[in-house]
Amino acid sequence: MLLYAVVPADATAPEARGLAGQRLEMIRGMLAAVIVEECAERLSATGEDARSFAEIICDLATTTSMLPIRFPTMLPTRSAVLAELQANEAAWRRRLTELDGLSEVVIRVQWAEPDHESGPASNSSGTTYLLSRAAVIHRRESSVAEISELVRAWAREIKVLHSQQGVRIACLVANTDVPQLRDAVTSWQQARSDRQVAVSGPWPVFSFVVDQEVVST
Amino acid sequence: MSDATEKWSDNQVALVDLIDRVIGGGVVITGDVVLGVAGVDLVYLGLRLVLAPAHEVEQSIALGRRSA
Repeated sequence: MLLYAVVPADATAPEARGLAGQRLEMIRGMLAAVIVEECAERLSATGEDARSFAEIICDLATTTSMLPIRFPTMLPTRSAVLAELQANEAAWRRRLTELDGLSEVVIRVQWAEPDHESGPASNSSGTTYLLSRAAVIHRRESSVAEISELVRAWAREIKVLHSQQGVRIACLVANTDVPQLRDAVTSWQQARSDRQVAVSGPWPVFSFVVDQEVVST
Repeated sequence: MSDATEKWSDNQVALVDLIDRVIGGGVVITGDVVLGVAGVDLVYLGLRLVLAPAHEVEQSIALGRRSA
C-alpha cells in the first residue's frame, strides 16, 4: 500500500484516485486516519511519480487538514498501516490540531553573484579558502536572520532548508496571511538589486509535520 | 527585475520546491519498499527503511558521529 497522508479520524473519504489508478482509501484509527492506495509491491518512484504524488497531496489538502507522508512510503498490508497508525495517532492528532488552517510557504533567496567557494584543490591558499568559506556562511546566515525578521509577523514557525546556492526558508503561515507575507517579501526584494527572491506555495505542511524538527520564531 | 531573476520561472521554482518537499519532508514511516526500473524489480528492501534525499542522509550521519 502506498501511503499519502495522515488526516483527522473524522475526515471525509477522498473521491480521488492515486498513482496506481486505484481509488484512495482511508484506514481509520480512533484519533487519526491514513489515506492509502492499494498497489503492487513495486515502485519505480520516478520524478514524474513524485510530481503526481505532490499534485494528489495538494488536492487532498484543499479538503482537510493533513500531515503529508514522505514519498515514497509503502507498507505491505492494511494491518501494518493500522499498527503504525495506532502507535503514532496521539502525536499525529495533536500536530494536526496545531497545524489546522496553516500552510507552508518557501522563500528562496539567491544572489546575483552566486556563492563561490574556492575549493582546496584550487590554486588559492588555505587562508583564502577559509576566508571565502566564512564569507559564504556569513552571507547565508545574515540572509536567514533578515528573512526571519521580515516574516516574524506571519510565520508561526520557520525552518531553514538545505540549499546548494543561496538560502531556502520554509515558513508555517496561516492560510489567510499568505498574501501579506508574499507582499512583504516582494517589497523587501525590490529594495535589493543584488539578489533575487522567489516565494512558492502555499503548500501542505511538508516541513512542519514533526514539531521537534522546527525552529520556532 | 534583474537578469538573474529572469532566469527563474515562477513555475519552475514552485515545482522544484514542491518535489523537494515531497521527498524531503513529510511524516516518516518505516516500511518495506521495492525499487524497480522499467517494470523490473531490482531490490527488495525488507529492512525498516526510510528513503530520503542524499543531503539529509549525510546530515544524519554527521549528527550520529557527533553524538557517538
